[in-house]
Parts: sequence; structure tokens; C-alpha cells
Amino acid sequence: MKTPRLSPQTLRVLERFIESPTAWRYGYELSRETGLKSGTLYPILMRLAKYGLLETKWVTTEDGVPPRHTYRLTPNGVALVRSTFADSRSSARTALKARRPAFSGGKA
Amino acid sequence: MTFPAFPRSVAIALLRFAIWIAPHDTHEWGRGMLSELNHVEGNWSALIWSIGGAGVLAKHAIVAIIFPGSHRRTVSTASELFDKELPMRKTTLAIIAACTVASLLFFVAPVFRQAFRVSLAQWHTVLNVKQSFGYPSPDPELDAFAKKAEHNRDAEALAFIAVRYPNAIQRERLADEAVQLNPNLTWVYAVAGTAYLSPSEIDRRVSLLKQWDPQNALPYLFAAQKIGAPVTYSKEFPLGKLEQNPAWEKEMDAAFQSPKLDTYLDRQNQLDHRVLSRYRLDDPFQAASGDDRYGFPNYGVGECSLYAQSLLESGKSLESRGDRKAAFEKYLAVARFGQMISIDSEFTFLIKKEMKEAYGRLASLSQTEGNGEAASFYTSLADQFGKAADRQRLLLRNRIQGNDVSNWNAFLVRLSGLLMIFCAALLLLCMLGVLVRSCSFRLSSLHPSRLTLALGFGAAVGSLLSSAVLFVSYWPYSELLQRFLSKGDDSGMLELSAFLRDAQHPLGTRYSLGTWVVSSSMMVFYFWFAITVLCALAIMLAVFRHYQTRLRVGAAA
Repeated sequence: MKTPRLSPQTLRVLERFIESPTAWRYGYELSRETGLKSGTLYPILMRLAKYGLLETKWVTTEDGVPPRHTYRLTPNGVALVRSTFADSRSSARTALKARRPAFSGGKA
Repeated sequence: MTFPAFPRSVAIALLRFAIWIAPHDTHEWGRGMLSELNHVEGNWSALIWSIGGAGVLAKHAIVAIIFPGSHRRTVSTASELFDKELPMRKTTLAIIAACTVASLLFFVAPVFRQAFRVSLAQWHTVLNVKQSFGYPSPDPELDAFAKKAEHNRDAEALAFIAVRYPNAIQRERLADEAVQLNPNLTWVYAVAGTAYLSPSEIDRRVSLLKQWDPQNALPYLFAAQKIGAPVTYSKEFPLGKLEQNPAWEKEMDAAFQSPKLDTYLDRQNQLDHRVLSRYRLDDPFQAASGDDRYGFPNYGVGECSLYAQSLLESGKSLESRGDRKAAFEKYLAVARFGQMISIDSEFTFLIKKEMKEAYGRLASLSQTEGNGEAASFYTSLADQFGKAADRQRLLLRNRIQGNDVSNWNAFLVRLSGLLMIFCAALLLLCMLGVLVRSCSFRLSSLHPSRLTLALGFGAAVGSLLSSAVLFVSYWPYSELLQRFLSKGDDSGMLELSAFLRDAQHPLGTRYSLGTWVVSSSMMVFYFWFAITVLCALAIMLAVFRHYQTRLRVGAAA
């Protein structure tokens, strides 16, 4: 499966989604949480949707207010994000181990 | 009902516009950004939100223009699979419409309309509709103008037409009418020429001209030409025997003795300017065609040369008999006439040899008489005359052949005119094809194919580009014409004449002996023309095949 380029901004957006993978999120809400402007956020969302990692839905919140566009990760998206973050965590652990002084780990 | 604050209104308008220009597959995202605007806190924040979103949509719109196939609607049903690409179609149609409107807007400018008429002149020659600048055949516009001038009893307008009218009988009648209305226009008889006139009519005109302007050599030259034309070219009197005809000698002598030679070029230019301004005529061919005459009777210079030779011979004979004073007079008559003719005629170079000899003889006689100052004066005059004659020869050559700049501009005008017609025809064909296929005039039901869109796009862009080239390449000549029409400044009319003469030859031909010919010297042009046509066909074929393949792949998927 092709995956989009995971820039730091994209990772920031994905972090928000993975916090509650089944929840639908609003664009403005994501913008506030990630601190990304609309000009940065929407290309990321569009790219994720293009790769089939994000699904969209229109929801009506209250009478008289136009419906809002909402987003959440697809199962593929959730899997990719989890594996990405798992990889990055193991990489971080490996990096930390590598930095640890040789004498502190010589128990056995 | 409450109205949103100004920044928020701007934000909404901006996003709506961005959605309007954006490709179809980004509309949903645009509407999503727009719906979020209702929840953005603060008007200025809303505007910033909108600017960011509009930027994203604009970027997609630009990408869609550059790569039309890059933005496609998601195909969800089988029927949609074979449907046209809506965003691409919309953008391409918008470009086609914009280019077509822009091309048509060029016609609002009078300069462009003028340029377009000039670019069509090459077809007049091909189709033999009218023409031919300098070699006139019936011209309906001139006919209509003649009727108007006659109706208005406008002597100057009649004189203007008489100089240009292709039919000799009508020309004669119009000139008579103009002179009857205004005897001060008698000079028109000289300018309208004597070609194709009966001998009695030539006599009448010459007599009128002699009465009206007795000091001018021109009527005598006309009279000599009348005698000389049939005599010179008959078997009984081959060329060279003319000087033995006393009637001809008498007229030539009177011409050489006249104090001035006025070919009425200035009067004609002034009259042209007045008539063109009065009738608001902006046809460059009419404005410049009066400039196509050479300000002299047709055979005048040749006969002047002949008479000058006979004077020189008689001078030499007198000199050999010791009559230096009489010989001096003969040489002086030739030199004086040469100076007179050089003021107003472009054919001075044709008597350059005689003038050089006359000045040489004068210098030699002066030297013999011990007048060294006069001798050096005549030598310097000979040099000056030689240089002036060479300059006039060059001017005449430029006038007949045109210079490189006018040739090039005329080429561009003809080429862009042809391209405009070709592109317009192609665009019309595309439109007709779409209408016939759709069997409807409703915009929403028109579905052009990709090939039609590609062809229409090329035609519209080509039309716009060729219009721009036509406008730019004709602009300087329009300025020259305007300068003449508004200020009477005729300094650029020669340039305009040369340009118009070139602009009349069909593209890829060369002017030769009053007509256009397909010349082997244009091989480079034909070569590149063939290459261009082949490339255009190859591109069209490639586009067609490309879209066919994509359709097949899409259907298979």
C-alpha cells in the first residue's frame, strides 16, 4: 500500500486522530489542537484521504447551522498510524539504549 | 437577520470564489472549509482561515490547468466511467472561452480591424477579388466613394478618386468633373496620367495644363511622350531616331527651357490628406495608393535622356567647330534640366550618365577658358549629382522591393492573418461538431469529447496569439498612417507603401513583374512550413491516441 510522506505536521495530525480513532473530528478543532493553519492542515487531510487513510462525512449539528465536514481514520489509516508510531517508539528505545553507558547495563 | 462583519464577509466571498475556480474533486474540501468558517472564533481569524483555504484550492486550480488530467472526479458508477472529465472540461472550456473573447476584443480596436483587412489582402490577389495595389482592378469601395463624391459635388474627392480609379474612361470623366468644379485642380490631369487616353484627349489635357501652369516643363513632356510613344516603338522609327522628329524636338526643347518642373506630388499629398480626413477614410491602401505613381510621365525620363544625348552630341559638334559658347549653352541646358528633374523625380539616376558628361564638358570648357574656379564647381556638382542619383536609385529599389523590416512585418501580418482564419475555422468546426453530436443548444447538455476539447483549446490559444502578433506587427504602420491623416506628414508613406505591397503577396510567394510567383528562393519557407504542419498533425495524433488509451485503461479498471 502506498503511504503519504509523513512530515512532522502530518504526524501531529495523525497523533490527534489516533487518540480516539473512532471519533469524527472537525477541521477547525484539529487546527486548534495541532496549531496548524488551514493552509497546512487541509492539504494534509486531502493527502490522507487520497491514500485511503482518512474518511469524510457531512454531519448536521443543529438546526439552521450548515452541516460540517468531519474526518476520521479508516481501518487502514489506523493500522498505518499504529505501525508508524510503534516503529518510531522502538527506534527511540534503540536510540536510547545506544546512548546508555556500557557499565550500567552489564548486570548479567 | 444579522449581517456578518466585513472581514468575515470577505472571508466567505473569498472561499466561495476559490471553490468556484477549484477543480471538481476539491469542491467538497472547499465546502468543508467554508462550513468551518461558521465556527472560527473572531472575524480576523476567519479571514486568515479563509485565505489559507483559498490558497490550497487555488493551487489545485492552477495544477489542474497545467495538468488537465491530474484532477479527476472519483468514478463511482459504470455510467460515470465513460462520462467526460468534468473539472478538466470546465477549466478547458473556460480557457477556450476566455481566449476566444480576448481574440474578439481585439476587433474593438480600429487599428486591429485595419490590420486584419491588410492581412486579408493576400486573398484578394489569390481570389482575384480586387486589388492589387498599384495594379488596380475594379474596386467596389472606390465605386461607392465615387458615387458619394459625385453626389456631394466634391471636386477634391473626385480628383482623389480620378488618380486611383482603375478604369481609364471613368478616370477621365472624374478628372474632368473635378476640374470643372474647381479649375485649380487642373494639375489632376497630369497626376491621373495619360495612359490609355486618345491622342485628342491628351492634346486637350496638355493644352489645359500649359495654360494653367505655363512655366512647368511637365505638359511639354506629356506632349513629347504622346509623339514619342507611337514613333519610338514603330518599325519605321526605331528607338534612337526620335530626335529627328521636329515636333518631338520642339516639345522637348520647350521642356528643357522651362524654368521649373513640378510633378504636383506635394499638391497630391495635401489633397489626399484633406480628402482622407474629411471622409474619415482609414483604408491604408487608399491612403498609400496615390503614392504609387512616380511623379513623372511614364516614358518622360527615357525621352529626357534621349534628348539630353542629342544636346550633348550637338554641343560636341559645335565645340569641334570652335563655337564654344553655343556648345556651353547646350551642355548647360542638359545640366540645368538634370538639376531640375532631381528635385522631384526618383528617376534621376536614369540620366546620370548624360549629367556626368554634361558637367564634365562644362568643367573642361571652363578650364579651357581659364576659369579654374568654375571648372572645379562643375566637377563638384557632378559628384553631388552622382551621389544623389545613387541615393535615389536605392530609395526606388526599397520602394519597389521593400526593405528587410517591412518585408518581415508583412510576412508576420500575412502569417498571423492566415493563422487567425485557420484557428477560427477550427474552433467553429469543433463547436459545430459538439452541437451536432449533442443535438441540443442547451449548454448543460453539450459534452465535447477530449479530442474536441484539445483541438478547441489549441485553436483558441492560437487565435489569441496570432491576433496579438498581427496587432503588434501592424501597429507601426498604423502610426505612419495616422501621422499622415492627422498631421499630413507623408514622410512614412513610402515605408507604408512598401509594406502594403509586400502584404498583398500570398504567403510563400514572391513579387515579380507585377504579379506573384511561387519562387524556388522560398524553399526554406516551404521546408519549415511542411515541418510545422507535420508537427501539428503529429501532436494532434498523439493527443488523440493518448486519450484513447486512457479511456481504454479506465474502462478496464
